[in-house]
Amino acid sequence: MSFRMTRRAALLGTLAAPALIRSGWAQDGAIRIGSLTPQTGAGGAYGPGMVKTIRAVVDEVNGAGGVLGRKIELISEDDETNPDAGVRAARKLVDVDKVVAILGTWASAVTTAVAPTCWENKVMLFTVSGGDGITRLPHLGYIIRTQPDSGLQAQRAAGFMLKQGVKKLGSLSAQTPFAASSYEYISKVMKDGGAEMTGDVIYDASKTSFRSEVDTILKGKPDALFLNSYQPDLLVLLRDLYRAGFEGKRYTLGYAANDKLLAALPHEVTEGLISYSPSPDLTGAAFKKVQSIIGPNPDPYSCQTFDHANLAILAMAKAGAATGPAIHDAVRAIGNPAGKEVSDVLDGIAALKTGEINYSGASGPCKFTPIGDITGCKFRFDRVEKGQNTLIELS
Amino acid sequence: MIGDLPQILINGVLSGAQLAVPAIGFTTIYAVLRFPNFAIASHASVGAYAGVMANTTLGWSIGLSLVVAFLVAGVVGVVSDTLVLRRLRPSGSLTTAIGAAALGIVLENMLRFAFGNDPVGFDLPVLRDWKLPLLDLRVGPQAAEAALASLIVMAILFSFLAFTRSGRMMRAVADNPMLAGLKGIDAESVARRANFVGMGLAGFGGMLIGLDTSVDPLTGARVVLPVFAAAVVGGLGSIPGAVAGAFVVGVGEEMSTLLLDPSYRTAVGFAAILLVLTLRPRGLLGERAL
Repeated sequence: MSFRMTRRAALLGTLAAPALIRSGWAQDGAIRIGSLTPQTGAGGAYGPGMVKTIRAVVDEVNGAGGVLGRKIELISEDDETNPDAGVRAARKLVDVDKVVAILGTWASAVTTAVAPTCWENKVMLFTVSGGDGITRLPHLGYIIRTQPDSGLQAQRAAGFMLKQGVKKLGSLSAQTPFAASSYEYISKVMKDGGAEMTGDVIYDASKTSFRSEVDTILKGKPDALFLNSYQPDLLVLLRDLYRAGFEGKRYTLGYAANDKLLAALPHEVTEGLISYSPSPDLTGAAFKKVQSIIGPNPDPYSCQTFDHANLAILAMAKAGAATGPAIHDAVRAIGNPAGKEVSDVLDGIAALKTGEINYSGASGPCKFTPIGDITGCKFRFDRVEKGQNTLIELS
Repeated sequence: MIGDLPQILINGVLSGAQLAVPAIGFTTIYAVLRFPNFAIASHASVGAYAGVMANTTLGWSIGLSLVVAFLVAGVVGVVSDTLVLRRLRPSGSLTTAIGAAALGIVLENMLRFAFGNDPVGFDLPVLRDWKLPLLDLRVGPQAAEAALASLIVMAILFSFLAFTRSGRMMRAVADNPMLAGLKGIDAESVARRANFVGMGLAGFGGMLIGLDTSVDPLTGARVVLPVFAAAVVGGLGSIPGAVAGAFVVGVGEEMSTLLLDPSYRTAVGFAAILLVLTLRPRGLLGERAL
């Protein structure tokens, strides 16, 4: 049997050669990790800080000789806060760079779009997106997220309301895909805690007045209201509640009760408004380290990607292999409650040589359910006083 | 449920009064120039910003700021019409309507560039509602004042159309442009006046909405559909029709909350349009079919 060198075979050979060389590197050279963060678009304010914390972890590990005897190479791509651009960048990271993990997808739409590329190629995806549907994708365990989903957020909020003595709660929600499920989570916790739900109004957020909605919800005589709103409609709702003379407690979400809303409303209208949002663990050692990397007030996403990098590297060290499936199998074992408490990647790598570790990170304890959701994290509760958000509880 | 009816009627009348002023502006421009000028939304935002600047930066009273809102939006309306829409009018009303929608988006983004996306509030305390405990009713003092301001502006507009030379010229062109031309009425001059009055009213209405909520570049865009609905229900080109249409849409949307979830409010408004146009294609008070 003779082998004839055709032009086609020659062409194939030429194309295949770099890939062979590349896969050779991937086997024996540096371990490649990809970051896929929003450097531009709606999330553009967050991407640079997110990459900075990942790079700091990678540099630290490389400075100490790497992991499993190999250096780590970080390849950073921009998802442009856009699913199309995100998928293109993810394909490049997976097909060309052969990364073992992708860290940091921010927008839920981007995460949903790139997730199939990751799980089909057995590449681990670490995300900061909060959309409920993400961890319910058929991802076979290849997604881990450090942001609490809206269910966990709603449950924590309801727990806080019970603690503040709320007995009769009414709910006003903007019409969103998550309005109904948030209400269900909250009402279950409230009812289990012995409180009564007086009603649930879902409103059209584009309206310029909510007088009739306010009348409807106040008919149930609630002593507190849960306002599941965004900033523009919350602004109108707070005015209409004030006009109607509602004197009870009002609870809402941190991203709605932001400083811009507080600046646009008279103080008497916002006074006493309570908002909640997921918070990094402000007292932990890992958070202090993130502060030393990017400044005194790190955003939650930079704290989360810091944890992504630590989790990916520690999982490889634990598994003794630098592949997507190895991270997949070992990432939950990094937070073993029986293990040694660590919050630093080098301490963790050292401790893993002799036994188990229990990593807790900058964003929180970093413990995950089978489908990849965190089991808990810190929440901050703020109360508006004279037009300023004031921290009343971090728990 | 029936017991709630008086309160819902009050809420509906207050919302209707808010819609009526920009709806009159929209229908005035339609009457004279025969195209739906969707740039009314961004002119409402322009008026709202002009008012909020006069009130917060210059410290002027709300009444004076309303005049500023009317004048600035009116002038911007004349300028943008002269620069953009006038050239499109010979190509037909559909082209001009699409051009107006595009003009609106450009103006909205100019506002965004100048003032940012963040909401701006008037320097005005929010007042508690008046309560009528015997009837279990409540009325917002500021909403009532806004309704009163709308009524005053409507009265001024009707006097302008009935008793001034400009007003009569506008009515003549609206009624029969060709005959008005034969009588020596300058169509361009009337077009400018109609734009000034129409967009001025949009700006005035935009500021009233801003007083009730807050001002951002989308203030006008949020109400453009109900405003359009009010003008269509009343009969495009009919000013009393726009007022009637605004109250039908305002009261209809509030009444729907008796039977349906409030998230369907907008849909109910549009179901009302379909119903009116099916039974009476010219609208409630319109003279010709569309």
